Amino acid sequence: MSLRTRLAIIIGKFTSFISKAFKLGAGATWPGEIALRIQPRILRFLTERIPHLVLVAGTNGKTTTVKMIQTILTHAGHRVVRNASGANLDNGLVSTLLSDERAPYVIFEVDEATLPNILKDVTPEILVLTNLFRDQLDRYGEVDTIAEKWLLALGALDEKTTVIVNADDPHLAFIGSKLAAKVKYYGLEDPSLFLPKMQHATDTIYCPNCGARLTFAGVYFSHLGKWACGVCSFVPPTEDVTAGDFESPVEGVYNKYNTLAAALTAQVLDIPKQNIREALSTFTPAFGRMENIVVENRRVKILLSKNPTGFNESLRTVAASVDQGPVLFVLNDRIPDGRDVSWIWDVDFEFYKDFSRYLVSGDRVYDMALRLKYAEISANKIQVIPSLPEAVHNGIYSVKENEVLWILATYSAMLDVRKILTGRKIL
Amino acid sequence: MKLTIGWLYPELMSTYGDRGNIFVLIKRCEWRKIMVRIIPVDFRTTDKEIESCDLIFGGGAQDRQQGLAIDNLLKKGSTLKKLFDRGVPGLFVCGAPQLLGHYYMTGDGKKLIGLGIFDMESKHFGKDKPRCIGNTVYRWNDKTVVGFENHGGRTYLANVKPFATVVKGCGNNGEDKTEGAVYKNCIATYSHGPFLPKNPHVADWLIAKALEVKYGKKIELAPLDDSLEWQAHEFMLHKKS
Repeated sequence: MSLRTRLAIIIGKFTSFISKAFKLGAGATWPGEIALRIQPRILRFLTERIPHLVLVAGTNGKTTTVKMIQTILTHAGHRVVRNASGANLDNGLVSTLLSDERAPYVIFEVDEATLPNILKDVTPEILVLTNLFRDQLDRYGEVDTIAEKWLLALGALDEKTTVIVNADDPHLAFIGSKLAAKVKYYGLEDPSLFLPKMQHATDTIYCPNCGARLTFAGVYFSHLGKWACGVCSFVPPTEDVTAGDFESPVEGVYNKYNTLAAALTAQVLDIPKQNIREALSTFTPAFGRMENIVVENRRVKILLSKNPTGFNESLRTVAASVDQGPVLFVLNDRIPDGRDVSWIWDVDFEFYKDFSRYLVSGDRVYDMALRLKYAEISANKIQVIPSLPEAVHNGIYSVKENEVLWILATYSAMLDVRKILTGRKIL
Repeated sequence: MKLTIGWLYPELMSTYGDRGNIFVLIKRCEWRKIMVRIIPVDFRTTDKEIESCDLIFGGGAQDRQQGLAIDNLLKKGSTLKKLFDRGVPGLFVCGAPQLLGHYYMTGDGKKLIGLGIFDMESKHFGKDKPRCIGNTVYRWNDKTVVGFENHGGRTYLANVKPFATVVKGCGNNGEDKTEGAVYKNCIATYSHGPFLPKNPHVADWLIAKALEVKYGKKIELAPLDDSLEWQAHEFMLHKKS
């Protein structure tokens, strides 16, 4: 190890210590940022000695999948470290490793745009690909652009790595078919979950191989489903696990996918099926992901909803839940949310006009209110409340017994909501 | 009264909330008891069907999707031009200035032929020039218009009028304060996604023009309660970044 690398590690650890000791923050990104400035290749040195390194990448489901894998491995008696949710750029990964160098199992969620760069320095034992949807066009660019970069970066992996792929996403299945690495697939295979018709927010409905229009025997949401290309030889892969194999511990169709991704990862890590099932039954959601909070005996459920597909699935989950109650939509446009809020017009509010009450808040409260107006949700059910604390309090105090206040929020909005509800800061 | 709106390649050219414009046109007609029919203008559409349209809308596309649509769209160019020459209004958002002009020169020097309806050219200067990304404010006929732009290319107008002048943002090229272009009653703007929700006056201008051309007389639209629309509009005028 070079002097420079050693120096980067020492200074990084020192920063971590200082930021925790003086409560300057949780130390989730800064120590790594400083270490990276001294030694840009530091991730290579820090990950070399890790016996089991798992990366999870994709648009939606990263945090929940990582937490499920952690739950299963911890239940099996392994020591696990993972990055804080959202700290999924290189600086977050380095910070995590500086704070705990010895854990034999390391699980990272990785930002989709950062993945290609990370793979230049890191060879994971397992790489999980969850899905690719339109998200923050101003930051990430188009789905096709990300998929192309992934294909290029993943092409360098060999048989030492197992890539775990969502077979229901045609673009990811296409990437899987092109790899030299070992590839395993998961998919739902449950026609009872098919949507009555295709949603508007789809990204991969043309064959990634030949460009012809794909046909779908059914879709679970967005472009995830039972797809086929009638023109070229590209066919859906055979799945190694499907929805019948493992039950999701949390509501929501998307959580069924997260469950399968985590279970398949655990199987590759030699955890027996029965132990995986037991561990999953003890799972509690990550913060802001279908998280339950009780405030003064009133129940609140928070669903991070940061892009059209995520938001659609949140609405579907609320509508299908036994827990009824008012919904609060919080729309922010800060850097972590994406500055551009156009995407709310791709969300199918038109199908969800029957909630009892709608509260709207956030930096872009009027954009959200306007969206609901054009979905023709009746104006007397909508409350427009620019101040978030006021909106949260109004929501909570309007909740009747047996009701739940559902909060659907973008990333920074979700953090603000939690701060208001729990009175403490998370990141 | 009745209007037919043609939506260009709804499956391919609807990247980021573009359908918001269609929703706004539909509702603002319905709320005034004007019947609306939306027809997709895509691979199966005949020239005759295009000619039956009273208003044309085109959204933005990912590169691959635009590649899939473009050859087919170019074949429809002369029919669309005839329509616009008749005064039929149109709204093209997002990369429209690149699509409607003579050509678009990509960052690596490829020349993509456009519809050539608008006398203008677009060019991408490669990575040296940053993308234009952010909230925008324009001035259009003494009124403000708000939007969000996200484009790498720059457009230079020849013998065609700009749609608006730039108050905030980059506009066509960041140099001459022009934004988009207008040919007869057809608007092209770099504003992407849902452009009409916060600009109800532009939406109504399009609807009024469509009715005027179809029924051959000036038609006064019944007023709507647009207080929420203008609240959202005003908010963007005063927004810091």
